[in-house]
Amino acid sequence: MLIPTSETDAAYIIRNAAGQGKRLAICGGNTRSGLGQMVEAAEVFSARGLSGIVDYDPAEMVMTAKAGTPVAEIEAALARNRQMLAFEPMDHRGIMGTSGEPTIGGAFAANVSGPRRFVAGAARDSLLGIRFVNGRGEAVKAGGRVMKNVTGLDLVKLLAGSFGTLGFLTEVTFRVLPVPPAADTLVVSGLDDETAAKAMATAMSLPVEVSGAAHLPFTVRHRFIGGRLPEGEATVLRIEGLAASVEARAQKLAAVMEAFGPVTRLGSADSATLWRDIRDVAPYADGTSRPLWRVSVAPSAGHQLVAALRLEAGIDAFYDWQGGLVWMRMEADAEAELVRRYIRALGGGHATLVRAPDRIRAATSAFEPQPDAVAALSARIRKTFDPAGIFSPGRMSGRGGAV
Amino acid sequence: MQTSFTTEQLADPNVAESEKILRRCVHCGFCTATCPTYVTLGNELDSPRGRIYLIKEMLENGRPADAETVTHIDRCLSCLSCVTTCPSGVDYMHLVDHARAHIENTYRRPLADRLIRSLLAAILPYPARFRAALQLARLGRPLAPVFARVPALAPLAAMLSLAPVRRPRTAAVTDPQPLSTPRRGRVAILSGCAQSVLDPGINAATRRLLTRFGVEIVAPRGEGCCGALVHHLGREDEALAFARRNVDAWIGEIEGGGLDAIIITASGCGTTVKDYGHMLRLDPLYDDKAARVSALARDITEYLSTLDLPVLESRRLSVAYHSACSLQHGQRITALPKLLLKAAGFTVRDPAEGHLCCGSAGTYNILQPEISAQLKARKVKNIDATKADVVAAGNIGCMTQIATGTAIPVVHTVELLDWAYGGPKPAKLATSGRKDKARPVAAARV
Amino acid sequence: MAEAIQFLVPRDNVLARRLSIISDLADLLPPECLVHEARGLAPFETDAFIAYRRVPLAVALPRTTVQVAAVLKYCHRYDIPVVPRGAGTSLSGGAIPQEDAVVLCLSKMTRIIEIDYANRTATVQAGVTNLSISNAVGTDGFFYAPDPSSQLACTIGGNIGMNSGGAHCLKYGVTTNNLLGVKLVLIDGTVVELGGKHLDAAGYDLLGLVCGSEGQLGVVTEATVRLIAKPEGARPVLFGFDTCDEAGACVADIIAAGIIPVAIEFMDKPAIEICEAFAKAGYPLDVAALLIVEVEGSEAEMDAMLASIVEIAGRHGVRKVRECQSATEAALIWKGRKLAFGATGRIADYICMDGTVPLGKLSYVLGRTAQIVEGFGLRVANVFHAGDGNMHPLILFNANDPVEAAKAEAAGNEILKLCVEAGGCLTGEHGVGIEKRDLMRYQYSDIDLAQQMDVRGAFDEKWLLNPSKVFPLDGRIRAAC
Repeated sequence: MLIPTSETDAAYIIRNAAGQGKRLAICGGNTRSGLGQMVEAAEVFSARGLSGIVDYDPAEMVMTAKAGTPVAEIEAALARNRQMLAFEPMDHRGIMGTSGEPTIGGAFAANVSGPRRFVAGAARDSLLGIRFVNGRGEAVKAGGRVMKNVTGLDLVKLLAGSFGTLGFLTEVTFRVLPVPPAADTLVVSGLDDETAAKAMATAMSLPVEVSGAAHLPFTVRHRFIGGRLPEGEATVLRIEGLAASVEARAQKLAAVMEAFGPVTRLGSADSATLWRDIRDVAPYADGTSRPLWRVSVAPSAGHQLVAALRLEAGIDAFYDWQGGLVWMRMEADAEAELVRRYIRALGGGHATLVRAPDRIRAATSAFEPQPDAVAALSARIRKTFDPAGIFSPGRMSGRGGAV
Repeated sequence: MQTSFTTEQLADPNVAESEKILRRCVHCGFCTATCPTYVTLGNELDSPRGRIYLIKEMLENGRPADAETVTHIDRCLSCLSCVTTCPSGVDYMHLVDHARAHIENTYRRPLADRLIRSLLAAILPYPARFRAALQLARLGRPLAPVFARVPALAPLAAMLSLAPVRRPRTAAVTDPQPLSTPRRGRVAILSGCAQSVLDPGINAATRRLLTRFGVEIVAPRGEGCCGALVHHLGREDEALAFARRNVDAWIGEIEGGGLDAIIITASGCGTTVKDYGHMLRLDPLYDDKAARVSALARDITEYLSTLDLPVLESRRLSVAYHSACSLQHGQRITALPKLLLKAAGFTVRDPAEGHLCCGSAGTYNILQPEISAQLKARKVKNIDATKADVVAAGNIGCMTQIATGTAIPVVHTVELLDWAYGGPKPAKLATSGRKDKARPVAAARV
Repeated sequence: MAEAIQFLVPRDNVLARRLSIISDLADLLPPECLVHEARGLAPFETDAFIAYRRVPLAVALPRTTVQVAAVLKYCHRYDIPVVPRGAGTSLSGGAIPQEDAVVLCLSKMTRIIEIDYANRTATVQAGVTNLSISNAVGTDGFFYAPDPSSQLACTIGGNIGMNSGGAHCLKYGVTTNNLLGVKLVLIDGTVVELGGKHLDAAGYDLLGLVCGSEGQLGVVTEATVRLIAKPEGARPVLFGFDTCDEAGACVADIIAAGIIPVAIEFMDKPAIEICEAFAKAGYPLDVAALLIVEVEGSEAEMDAMLASIVEIAGRHGVRKVRECQSATEAALIWKGRKLAFGATGRIADYICMDGTVPLGKLSYVLGRTAQIVEGFGLRVANVFHAGDGNMHPLILFNANDPVEAAKAEAAGNEILKLCVEAGGCLTGEHGVGIEKRDLMRYQYSDIDLAQQMDVRGAFDEKWLLNPSKVFPLDGRIRAAC
């Protein structure tokens, strides 16, 4: 494993590798390497040696850190100033059974987000500026440290979620938000998936600023907060803010939700645990490598997808993002063709194979295959960053793809 | 905006004024959003900003107008919605007036166009001629579809379709009624031209209402068409002649028995009469007199608002208030008519997109029938959506236009007010069969 | 006087074939969708950045994506530059064409295609104005958040091209944070769909890349945007200070206290006078700096947040506090602010700058701005989005005086360089266009720019889309010249 300790170091190594056509498997803490296509590379190239908070100005709500800084260190520094990452990045170690420290660069490179994403934006929406080394070994800067910045092409968005295939992130500047002083969660019990979707849509149409909307069907409900959720399916809605505001909004929301089913409140401690477990897909952190899909569709399509698939395959699923994010664990086979066919039929979206045994990963497109024109465009873009094709080649492509 | 006029060009006071107006425009484009032709056609050239640019080019180059520029200026409704929207205070109204005059003076229109415009200028301002023409129009109505198919004759088709089906009753021109209450004011009411033929009931209602509240009405001899029509056709000399005639008639009365106000019930005319001071500013014999006349001009709703009319109990009749462009944009009167209607006991509803013209715009519905039709359809749709019992407007042009598109009866605001305060129910409502619970004056504050 | 900002030299072979190009375009579009007469082309020669003007070859006003694709495919085949245009309200010259270019104006594509409340999305054609989206969903209790001051007139297509912001972006983000999907036509006529009603990109975030690309990567014909539930209420409050420094420090403190109002706007004395003369909103005329702070939520929530803000303002010597008593009053207060630029036109010509600086540097930059402008013998009025440090100095001058015009431009450039030096950037919302193109090297190295230009080339190898914009003309790769 190669672990550069400076950007110059990294640039030097990459320049040489490009010259020799030597492939590098890019990673941070290597906790998410099971995500995506398998990469054949001569070396693993890690950013964890580039670590440390470079600048943090709580009054400006901006932090700059080297890409290999552990997320835990970032979150601790923020917590000391009562601030947080709005996009609450998921910790993949549970479901993937990996060890190591997830890095902040990895969080942005994989565009890792959590339940609050659907109202507060994804990781990429908090990312303001980056430094990276491209596949020629050149150090490139994009973005800046202010939110309002439309100077030139937005390479920041492009690099986010690119899994290291376009550049080796060395430094990231991102926006942070104050931690809400109070939080609580409403649980509406006993709703089937379709009714839950309606209830969540209704909640989102009210001026109560729900910041988490998930639905935990019967099969997974008991695996949260030590099984203390009320009986039956649980549709959970989070409210955050000033204490008085949370109380008032929770009451307003409860009054409307009561029309759907019995409503209970969790209190702030259980609330925090619950959403962390939803964030980290706790029910499927089962120590196995059974295929796990992360599906993103329109909120009203999520339950339809699951209902359709249940008729044809053995799946276990729960919902986040008002029903638009579906975590699906398959019994044995990934059923990729089936999943993708139904997604298309239901108006579009994408499914990413987050976890699977190696033999399945080798035979399946982990990322949603793109229409030809988009795939061609992506390939051309990649070539402008990495002409020699050394950065985790094939990580994001379909099986046997050109990218 | 940067301009490039020569000193010689600027010696002409009209050009100098237009140059000042052009300098104000910063080309921000806000005006495009509220321009009826821009939202209909989606072309910069049919937006105020585009027209300002075309006018600038035309005047700077001292050229005769060209077909392209004329096409787009002709499509301007002069609704003045852009003036309401403009943050920079561009006096578009006077700029486009100047442009129209320049066009009329320098551009040779195609024959059919010239004929139709001359026809309109020769007939509409003269009530006797207009009445006669309407008789002919009723006979010729079946030919409208034929004319409509020939592009050059489309205006004729539009004219025929707009002519009322039934002959409007001519209201007896009554001598001023003696007052039964102490006199509160002395006013003249513009008799005008087209309105007196199409709907004499409007001024009749105005006279009744004002008399009932102690306002003496005088009818100075010699006043007639305000000149708006020919003014908007760019025929400046004719417009100024009409203006001078009216100014003379009113000055005679002002210096004679005195006038508290010159009441105008057609808001399109009101805007023009209020502009007499500007129109005649270069005439040393009339500049002061015209300014005095303009200062006394009032829309009927403006004047009524000064009378402190009593508040009546609510009657169960909903009114969709159509805000005429000349009233809301030209004269900046937006709330007064609605407040009057509410005080009189009506429930007032605002149609959506109230800032957009109905497409009448003087003779626009005759000269630009396709765009006018699209605007009418849009306006009628918004009005129908209010599900009101009656539509009230302050301008005869709007009333005529909207009435041809909706089943809801259309009346003038003053007709409803006259009815509420003791007058007869407007004829157009009598057929609607609605039962209303009218209550007489609750507390007299006269 | 020679213009400071250059355009690319028009291609002779294209100019020579002008008539046949127009004839070919006339085969692709109905007559009312093509403008080619000299007189008719003039109004398209500029946008809101009126100091620069170039008459285009022709203007296409397509109604459908198919027509857009046909025009692009044709232009691609014959190497004709294309300049996309929305409502032409760009303040950086984004829509200014060149003599050999076809303007592709989407102002006829104004249909709202679908509103989906369950999924909180609206799908519209690119020519739909920003405000009309919020208007269409307002009575049902929703709104579209990014609200540039020109929202009455600017189109969503233009918003996407520039990644437009607005006063309410402090809380809700800018266009790219509220954009879910687009239908994009590439330069060769291929139509692709990026995103949709679902969240996150399937692969590379091409949607994020297209947003803010200033018409250089393709032409957006349809967009799907995020709708948000309207708050129960919103209330702007005016705070008047004796110095700009105190006002700036107050802003920083509000943010530092963990309070995120919906918007914080800043106006200095000259700007206050200009806006008050137009809107008559009741702005105090005897203060040096004014903050408009808007909070939203239920009555109780607004009261609570305002109490905290008033307390913070008190610590900075606030002299006047005025709360809105009615919706009409609130509308007036915002009208005054949003129409500030146009209202400035009542007293002078102006250019409006758009740099962003870190909040902590606001006072410093304001002071230096005043010094710079005074050094050129001109006046300045400041209006800006204080909450995110996005400044809009309005440099006042006389457009009919070429010497003053040149000075104003030079002053503007100095201010933008100052913003970059202070740790900010050249443009917060208006985009680079032509206005800031030649300053790009103040913010980016040659390598940074080369990487961006390479990506641009991946979409448009021949550099036909809006070619004179964003990237400095010198030092471009071969195809870009």
